[in-house]
Formats: sequence, C-alpha cells, structure tokens
Amino acid sequence: MDVVATKPYVSERRPLRHLDPILLLSVLALGIVGLVTIYSATHASLVAQRIDPGFYLKKQLTFVTLGVVVILVAASFDYRFVKVYAGIIYVASLALLVLVRTPLGTTVRGSQRWFQLFGFQLAPSELAKLALVAMLAAFLSQLRSSDLSLQALYRATAIAAVPGLLVFLQPDLGTSIVLVAILVGILVVAGARARHLGVLALTAIVLIFGALQLGLVKDYQIARLTAFFDPQNDPQRSDYNRTQAEIAIGSGGLLGRGYLKGTQTNLDFVPEQHTDFIFTVIGEEFGFVGAIFVLMLFALLIWRAVRIALLAKDPFGTYLAAGIASMLAIQVFVNVGMTLGIMPITGIPLPFVSYGGSSFLTNCAAVGLLLNVHMRRLV
Amino acid sequence: MKRPPMRRLIALLAVLALAMGAIVLRLSVLQVSQARAYRSYALDQRLHTVTLPASRGRVLDRSDEAMAISLPARDVYVDPRYVTEPWDEAQTISRILGLKVRDLVPQLTADTTFVYVARQVDLETAGRLERLHLAGVGFLPSSRRAYPAGPLAPQVLGFVGVDGVGLAGLELEYQSVLAGKPGERTQELDPSGQPIVGGIDAERLPAPGSDLVVTMDRDFQFQVQAALEEAVKANQAQGGTVIVMDPRTGDIYAMATYPWFDPKEFATAKPATWRNRAVTDVFEPGSVNKVITAAATVQERSLPLDELLLVPWKMRVGDFVIHDAHPHGVEQMTLGDVVAQSSNIGAVEVAERLGAPRLATYLSKFGLGQVTGIGFPGESAGMMLPLYLWSDTSLATMAYGQGIAVTPLQMISVYATIANGGVWVRPRLVRGTVDPQGAFHPAAPSPTRRVVSDATSQMVTRMLAYAVKAGTGTAAQIPGFRVAGKTGTARIPKPTGGYYADRYFASFIGYLPASDPKVVIAAILDRPTTVYGGVAAAPLFQQVARYAIERLGIAPGNAVPPPPHAIPAR
Repeated sequence: MDVVATKPYVSERRPLRHLDPILLLSVLALGIVGLVTIYSATHASLVAQRIDPGFYLKKQLTFVTLGVVVILVAASFDYRFVKVYAGIIYVASLALLVLVRTPLGTTVRGSQRWFQLFGFQLAPSELAKLALVAMLAAFLSQLRSSDLSLQALYRATAIAAVPGLLVFLQPDLGTSIVLVAILVGILVVAGARARHLGVLALTAIVLIFGALQLGLVKDYQIARLTAFFDPQNDPQRSDYNRTQAEIAIGSGGLLGRGYLKGTQTNLDFVPEQHTDFIFTVIGEEFGFVGAIFVLMLFALLIWRAVRIALLAKDPFGTYLAAGIASMLAIQVFVNVGMTLGIMPITGIPLPFVSYGGSSFLTNCAAVGLLLNVHMRRLV
Repeated sequence: MKRPPMRRLIALLAVLALAMGAIVLRLSVLQVSQARAYRSYALDQRLHTVTLPASRGRVLDRSDEAMAISLPARDVYVDPRYVTEPWDEAQTISRILGLKVRDLVPQLTADTTFVYVARQVDLETAGRLERLHLAGVGFLPSSRRAYPAGPLAPQVLGFVGVDGVGLAGLELEYQSVLAGKPGERTQELDPSGQPIVGGIDAERLPAPGSDLVVTMDRDFQFQVQAALEEAVKANQAQGGTVIVMDPRTGDIYAMATYPWFDPKEFATAKPATWRNRAVTDVFEPGSVNKVITAAATVQERSLPLDELLLVPWKMRVGDFVIHDAHPHGVEQMTLGDVVAQSSNIGAVEVAERLGAPRLATYLSKFGLGQVTGIGFPGESAGMMLPLYLWSDTSLATMAYGQGIAVTPLQMISVYATIANGGVWVRPRLVRGTVDPQGAFHPAAPSPTRRVVSDATSQMVTRMLAYAVKAGTGTAAQIPGFRVAGKTGTARIPKPTGGYYADRYFASFIGYLPASDPKVVIAAILDRPTTVYGGVAAAPLFQQVARYAIERLGIAPGNAVPPPPHAIPAR
C-alpha cells in the first residue's frame, strides 16, 4: 500500500481532499434536526418534573460532539484494515451479545439489551449491525467469481443469522429486521440471483413459523404484529401508540403547528416521543413541509452512500458502503413507517435524530466508514 | 478487480426509492388530505369539559327563615391506578371519613380509573383529607342539603339525592326552580390531567337556583310536630297527621305527619316514613264527613232546620244494620242535633231526604274524589264511587263518612270552604320564589269556587260551634274562643272487604274563631287506643289551636248563636 508516494499527482490523491461534503452536511443537518426536536419533545415534561428543560438536549449535544470525533476516527485509518480485522470485530460483537444476556447486562422493560457504562447505556446490538456489515463485506469480497454461488449465499446467511438470532432473543425485533435488511442489501449488490434470494426468503418464512410454534417469540411481539395487521382485534391496546402517532402527525397538517407548539408530542400523548417516535414531533410541529425536508436529508444521505458504493475502489468498499446504505435506509423506513402506521411498531430509533448515544455513535461510525471509502477511492 | 456492480446498485436504489415513495404517499394522506380530521381528533383528546354544579336554592318559610339550605361540599373519588399502598390509604381515609377499611380496599384496588369513595363530604373534613395529598385521591365540587332547624316537615320538603336532584316532596316538585343551571368549564389538558399553558380554558358560570318560599311557618311547624308526637304517644296511636291552613288564602301554615324521618339520613329511613300522608294517603273520614251532608241539606232546604226527626239508635239499611256509637232510646233531633251528637242514624235520615244524586253532587262540589292541585308529587284524589255505581247502602254510609276515602287535605279543604263563607280555595304550600338577584316573585293566588252560599256556611258554622259547645267535640273548647268543629271516629276497612272491629281513625277538624275564621286545623290519629275523635283527636286539635292563636295572633271573635235544637247542652 505504500506505493502511493512513488506515484505522480500525489497531492491529487490525498484522501483529505476527497471528503464527501454533501454526506457530511446532511448528517450534520440531521443531527441538528435531532437536537431541535429532542428539546421540543422533552422540555415540557422536564419542566413539569422541575428538571432543567435542556437536560436531554445537553446529553444529545455531547453525543453529537462525540459523534464528530467518531466520524473523524472512522475516516482516519485506511478502511481496508477493517477487512483484515473483520473476523475479530465480528466475534467480539457476538461475545458482547452473549455477555449482555448475563447479569452484566441491564434489563429495561423486559428486554435485556444494554450495558450500563459510566452513566451511559451501551447497546451491543448497535455494534453488531456494523460488525455484520464488515464481516459480510469481508467474506463476500474474498469470493473469486463475480456471481454468487448458493453455497456462498448460505454462508453469508449463516454469518448474519448468528447475531440476528442473539438480538432476536433479547428480544429486539427491530434490530433483527435491520440485520436481515443488511444481509439482503449486501447480497443483492454482491450478485445474488433472484431465484436464490427466493429460496432464502422461503427458508426464513419456515424458520419464523417454527419460532412461533416453539414459543421463542414473546406474546407482546405477536400482539403488536397482529394488531398491526388486524387493528380491530387488539386486546393489549398496543395500537394506542400508533393511533397517537398518527394523530400527532396528521394534526401537523401542511405547515405544522409551530416549534414547541406540538401539544400531542410535547405533552406525552405520544409515547417515547424523543426516541423512537421523534418523527411525530417533526410531523406535528413542522408539518408536511418539515417532514419532507427531513426525508430529503435522509434521501441525500442514502444516495451518497449508494454513490460511494458505486465509486469504491474495491469490492470490499462497495459491499461496506452498500451494507451501510441498507442499514441506514431500513432504519429510516421502519421508523418513519411505524409512526405513519404503515409498519409495525418495533422500537428502532431514527438515525441521527432520535435521542440516544449508542445508535447515534454507531451511525456516525458508519458514516465515517463511508467517508473513508470515498476518500480512498483513488488510492 | 471486478467492475462496480452498477446494475445491482441501481436495483437497490430503486427499492429504496419505492420505500421512500410509500412514506411520502402516506405522509401526504395524513398531513394533507386528512389533516383537518386529525387536528380535530387531537383537540378532542385534549379538551375536557367538567360540569360546574349550580348552587341549589334554599327553602324558606313564610317569614324567610331557612328550612333547607345547600352548603358547598366535596365528592371524594379515587383513581386506583395511582394508589400504591391501598391498605395504608384505606386506613387513613377510613380514619377521616369514618368509612370501613374493608369497603375501601376493593375500591382502591379496582381495575378502573374512577371510583367515588364518599360524596357530599363537608368542606372541613374534605380539607383535612386533601392536606394529606394521598396518591390517587381527588376531589370534586359538590353540595349537600342542610336543615338548620332540624327535621321540620321532612315529608313536605322532601329530600335531595347525592346528585343534587330533588327526589321527593317539594324538592322534587320544584326541582327546576331550585336547581338552577349548571355551568361548565372546558379546558385543554395534557395526558396527566394538567391544564395546558396557553390552551383553551373556557368557563360558563353556573346560574344559581331560586329560593322557594313556602307558606309554612317554621316555628309553628315545630310546635305542631311536638304536639303531634306527644298526642300519638299519649294515645298509643300508630301515627298521625295535622294540617293547619288559612281558610281565606289556602296557605298551609303547618303540615305534619308522624312518624317522620331525618332528611339528612333519608337513605337509611324507612321509606314508609317518607310519605306525606296528609296529601298522598287516604282514609275513610267517618263523622267529619257529616258536614257535607249537613251543608247540602241547608243549601238545598231538603229538611227544615227546626224539623224534629225521630232517631232510634239502630236501623236496617239494605242488608245491614247501622247504629249510633252509643245505645240510646228513640230521640227527637233537629239537623243541628244530628251534627252536634254525631248521630249516624240521624245523618242517614237527613241524607235520605236529600237523595243520592244531590249528596253525590255536593261531595264532588266540596272536592272529594279529585286532587286539590296543591302542587305536590303523588297527591291522591281519594276514592269516591261515581253515582251510577252506588249500592243501596251507599247513600247511608256516605252520609256519615264510610264507604268513601279522602285525603286529610281534601277533608280540611271542606271545612275551610265552610269557614270561608262557602267558597272553596285551593290549598297551597308555596308563596313564591326569590330569584338569585333577591327579587320575590309571588305565586299566583289560589283559584277559588263557590260551593254553598254564605248563609249556608254560617248556619253550618253554628252547628259546628254547637258540636264543640254541647256535642261530641267539647274537648276542643278553648276558654274565651268560639271554636267550630266536628269529631270523626272512622272504622278502618280491611283490604279483603269489611271493617276491622277495633281499628279507628280518630279525627277532629275545626276552625276558629267561629264568627270570623282565621285558621282551620285538622288533627287525625291513626288507631289510637283511646278510639274516639272526641277523646283522642280533639285535645290535639285544641293544643294546636292554642299554638295557632299565639303564633298567628288570633282574636277571640264574637259568639255565634246555636242552631235550632231539641237536645239541650249537657
């Protein structure tokens, strides 16, 4: 790799000259949107509890600052090191997923997902997403043929299945969906045949059916899903969240009710309004126009990710970028779709906008890697 | 190095674009085409309307003394969702409100969001509970009825339920006057029930109810009740009724039925004691009804007033034998003697001269068989057979007041008619209302109708005065006053037909002063062991009359001449 210095136009190829400013700006804009809406979503109830109304805002500001550092770190080294260490990263992430099931992990609302570290919550499932992207990219980029054999497809699936299952058992249905989307996204880009993907889908359906039969899925998860497909039959009222989210977004109308004037979201009618349901705040306070603006930022972000996959110098970079693009896209789609009532409620945060450190920093690392691939496309 | 998989990446991008399209489509449905509906859902969710109860009007006596008032109170409720220590809370609440812990715990742990724990709690007690800030315990404005002078005429006033609605008596009859109009407050609330700052907060104040001014006199009512209770006990009666009325206006000065109840505790009282028997219950009047037979005879001149009738002590009528209260030889009696001695046989002979159609007409003209229209819930019309259903004994029995049932109010109105110069006046309990601004709105004067002539009524008064002076009613005499009145000792019918051998309604109805009547009094005792109206009821009449003289300031009046008579004073 040290051939760089011997080549002409060295300065033209210096990685720092090839940052992707559009990508960076869209991430920064989303982060700011997050700060603005988190404050709106939380200030009223914090005031009611006689706590500093900027409590969550300040914590999120810390995460944003840390996020910038994470982006810089993730972009600083050559991304191909990731390929070298992908195996270790992958195994380490699996180890963390197992460890979180031991008493070291914290159970919140019946779900054992977090480590409590220095006052922050660390969710290993967040790391597992990136680790899976890296592992799949590394595995698929080693293959010689340009077409994907069925055997390779099954191996890739096995790689995804291990963390997928561990996460699913936490239980964290949302992250499992993200892991599956990463797998499918990368496989499509890696040239999996439609027929093979069909076989994969069929296997998945059989497995899911089996899981239901074996009682591996918690009742509330089934209830949420059946409530989504059949809202009339909803004994647990899990439909409440969805209805409230729709009312909040719908009442925003074209132009929104104005910043800090969203009564539905500011006043706890909508649950989890600063984390999973943050999009309802945008919808209520900034209306259709504001929601479209935020969706445009995401579109920009994902377009840049796909573009980077296209421009990448090597297949590893392509797969890495494609995996990251899939990861971000599925999170946006599932999260926003859930607030709009077109997807079941699964507890996935909105990337860069929802309150929370683990998700934000993981997504920042992903963006850092995208930049990394982009910067070194000519090297 | 492989070529960048352009086609596949474009496929990925297409899928993502499709997903994005679905989101934008859904967003435009929610926020553009259905935005208005969602906005109103959202508003409905935040708007909460609470009723502001109107303060209920007072019940005042004829001189504006309060008989029933409403005091602000609190309804105590609990939202069990916020109760974490039901046993501890139940003990605290039980200590302050005096409720049972074992009743409270199920309420505090119920799977609901709202349970009334206690209603109409007085402010002081509610305040003590409120200061403890118990989790889940809340308070709603309410009011409770209080009776500053105690249970006075409770069957007349009636009572008010926990919802502030009159359930009986005048409280029920005048519900719309007393209740006022509740207001309401509409507020935007957040999910925890706190008002939203800068949100909608609209209030329509309640309109308080009007005060009801009754014709009764509070202090006099108290005296009447005391006299009644004493008389019931002294005569070992089952109960009794007293009505005191102004014959000229129909104003009821007092109306008492024993046993009564405490309206504060009406829910635990026997429902039978709720009945205002003076208005809602009937009895066979017995000899007091002879006044109608006499008045009709005088008016119709069907018997010369000085004609002497031969009266044995018993006689056969149809299949029955009727007789006077006490055996006597065949006596010569004028109409005046028949009234004074209260002879049943004499009354039958008088009635036979009058004839059934005319007696029936006068019974109706005096108001029997129809409600007086006093304005009281459940007033009874009494029971009177229409003429075409009279049997061959009806004329005879009705002449002395059996085979016909009347309310005490109907019967006192008959005497009031004689006392008022032959003009019937509808009795009334309400003088008027006082609106929230303090203006008095008098009730319309009672309608009247002439029943007999003034001359007739004066002659009947002479007979009634003679009955008190020299007949069966001597126990009603008041030294210095001329009292007119009539005793009644009526047998009580069995539900299965026929009469009880040993059960009587003893009554005395009369008025004073006889020359210029100012007050009519009916005193009725249910099943006294002393049996006779002249023995059981006349002293009660006399006691009430003494109170009336004092309370209403009645002058003695002039002497009235006796009617033509054959039997001298005993």
